Amino acid sequence: MLCRVADSLFWMSRYIERAENTVRLVDVMHQTILESEHSNDDSGYAHWEPTLLTLDEKDSYEALYPKRSSFNVTEFLTFNERNPSSVLSCITSARENARTVRDQISTEMWETLNKLYLFIKRADSQMVCSESDFEFFAQIKEYSHLFRGILESTFPQDLGYEYVVCGREIERAAKTCQILDTKRFTSSFTGEPDDALDAVQFAAMLRSCTGFEAFHHEHGSDLDAVPVRQFLLLSHKFPRSALFCIRRLQAAMHAISNCSITHFSNEPERLTGRLVSRLSYALAVDVEGESGDRMIDEIEAELENIAIAFSRHYMRAEIHDPVIEATQSQA
Amino acid sequence: MKIDYDTGDFFDEMYHADGTARPHYARLVETLSSLSEEGFHKKLEAVELAFLQQGITFTVYGNEESTEKIFPFDLIPRIIPASEWSHLEKGLIQRMTALNLFLHDVYHDQKIIKDGIVPLEIIKSGKHFREEMVGFEPPKGIYIHICGTDLIRDHKGEYLVLEDNGRCPSGVSYMIENRRAMKKAFPRLFPASGVQSVSNYPDKLHKALQYIAPQAGSATIAVLTPGIYNSAYFEHCFLARQMGAEIVQGQDLVVKKDDCVYMKTTVGLKKVDVLYRRIDDDFIDPEVFNKKSLLGVPGLMRAYHAGNVSLANAIGTGIADDKVTYCFVPDMIKYYLDQDPILPNVETFLPYREDDMKYVMENMENLVVKAANEAGGYGMLIGPAASKAEVAKFRKMVKKNPRDFIAQPPISLSRHPTYGDEGLDGRHVDLRPYIIQSDKIRVVPGGLTRVALRKGSLVVNSSQGGGSKDTWVLNNDQ
Repeated sequence: MLCRVADSLFWMSRYIERAENTVRLVDVMHQTILESEHSNDDSGYAHWEPTLLTLDEKDSYEALYPKRSSFNVTEFLTFNERNPSSVLSCITSARENARTVRDQISTEMWETLNKLYLFIKRADSQMVCSESDFEFFAQIKEYSHLFRGILESTFPQDLGYEYVVCGREIERAAKTCQILDTKRFTSSFTGEPDDALDAVQFAAMLRSCTGFEAFHHEHGSDLDAVPVRQFLLLSHKFPRSALFCIRRLQAAMHAISNCSITHFSNEPERLTGRLVSRLSYALAVDVEGESGDRMIDEIEAELENIAIAFSRHYMRAEIHDPVIEATQSQA
Repeated sequence: MKIDYDTGDFFDEMYHADGTARPHYARLVETLSSLSEEGFHKKLEAVELAFLQQGITFTVYGNEESTEKIFPFDLIPRIIPASEWSHLEKGLIQRMTALNLFLHDVYHDQKIIKDGIVPLEIIKSGKHFREEMVGFEPPKGIYIHICGTDLIRDHKGEYLVLEDNGRCPSGVSYMIENRRAMKKAFPRLFPASGVQSVSNYPDKLHKALQYIAPQAGSATIAVLTPGIYNSAYFEHCFLARQMGAEIVQGQDLVVKKDDCVYMKTTVGLKKVDVLYRRIDDDFIDPEVFNKKSLLGVPGLMRAYHAGNVSLANAIGTGIADDKVTYCFVPDMIKYYLDQDPILPNVETFLPYREDDMKYVMENMENLVVKAANEAGGYGMLIGPAASKAEVAKFRKMVKKNPRDFIAQPPISLSRHPTYGDEGLDGRHVDLRPYIIQSDKIRVVPGGLTRVALRKGSLVVNSSQGGGSKDTWVLNNDQ
């Protein structure tokens, strides 16, 4: 497979996942604000601040918008083309990447992504941002699910498929960590412990990861920091927990290299394996309080290293040179 | 649908001047009249939406940003009876044969120049003549593997050749997608006797590429595209997908010290044998041509000259589709094949010749003036429709560089009923058949009918308000 094709498949998939996650975040935030105390003039901007901080977008938001309002943040995260992580930018990038590999992916995959692009391009952004348009966000999430379903049933499950999985799982794991981070930023703002508010925020976090029901299955109604972290970081059943995503990532990487999962054949595999074992053998106490904070930071940093090592190894590969090899083997 | 149609003073593809349908259209007219206009309009919308969703689009470059557009599609098919087609086919094969003989000659012995048929200066001053090709024998001696020759019909209905596109002719994917769309939208319109299929074009192309592989056996074939921002990117992908070939950009390829071309894959380098290249000569190898090109592959010409990679079309075919060279194609046919041209050229004046220059200067208001090396309907003056200032501007340009222009009397292109806001209306059309040369020359039955959608317009190019129609070559004459 061409390096460029591998790269495009990886990023196509990553961008779709990113768009979907941002949509979830925005949607859940809208619903949370409706139920909480907020003044009319900033219409809930304070609630957005932690989200902007976790996404590392607070500065770029404030540079683009003098006025702090829920409307503007929604616009910024959803439609602003000058924000490279906005939903629209992500979908545009996903489509550009899909276009470069149009010959490799199925017609159905391309058309779904193209329809999604046409859908968001034609959306009335004023309406969506002022009305917190539930239907709009739901539609984007559905397109993303549809794409995944079509991928599973139309795309040959060989090399290209594994690159798509790698892109998706890296992004998903990173986003789950970011969502957990929102809580940390929120606490640092409010200072005083407030059980009722905590419960609302934990519920919002779980909803952002579609894990509200699944959490209750695993942990009962114990909506508290440690079980929520345990669930979102360490669950080996829930498809959006960090561990679950990283395990899938590991499996996909080993499918690409054909190397047994018991050892590693390259740097990204080594880093991933190390992270998997770290999370697999973590205890509840490891995710508690500050050591838990550190763990989240480390997972995020490690995912970044894995992505870099992965793309260095496969996409901007130190290409082995058949000419040199031929002369060497003759010598 | 009510058909209330005026053929005007033009040759109409569907109707005789007296308003009766030509026999090969009779069945279509009957079926069309039985359709409701509303139903017809719905089908059109459905087809357009399908094109948009499939991303069958091309890119138009404006002043500020480029936009993606669908290539407008007209649901009324153009029909060519079998006997008329076989005449066209013979003419196109004859022309393609002569063009390839000419290119071989011009890059080798130049007999046609020595015998005084084509002037040396025309060749030497041709923008697309490539010194690098002199004395080089391309695989199987073929230069143009794929040609798109534009045909028009005059007021009497006679087919004339307007130009040959022997570099990177585009549009073939629309030909195939148009047929697919028609079959979905109007299965009932197709005649019981059938229509000659165009869908195997990618196979024919694949065979033609396989045919020129450096070694016998299965070759690695790739389509070389300038990338997703190119207006024909959809087509490049389409063809690669249909042929099961790789689609590559310049950055994916590398020429190593062994003068072979390799693609960069996730498991290392893989040798490429044949490139169907959709990048013009100028940009294909920065070591030899445009030094600033980022689209090309440094060293590609080395590999080509060493015979390690085959290119279709060959480098340097542009000298044959220069509009000045075009004037000499009938002479080439006579010279190489000792035959009369089956398909005549449009009468053409070459300002480069003194007599013609005089005539062109005196009659510019009544002529169509074209730049010899522009495509896409750019660099063109339609005298009768132009302002005084535009005519004056062209007079100056032609005077300064006579070699760079040709002039032709305006041809009132034939018209074809076309569906628009006011129902069926006559619009001017041309026809671009695709000709492929491998072990023999094959012409795809039909081709791309382009239609000037603006009322009265003679410009059919997609960049300037043109659309297209499905083109049916019947299995018989009715």
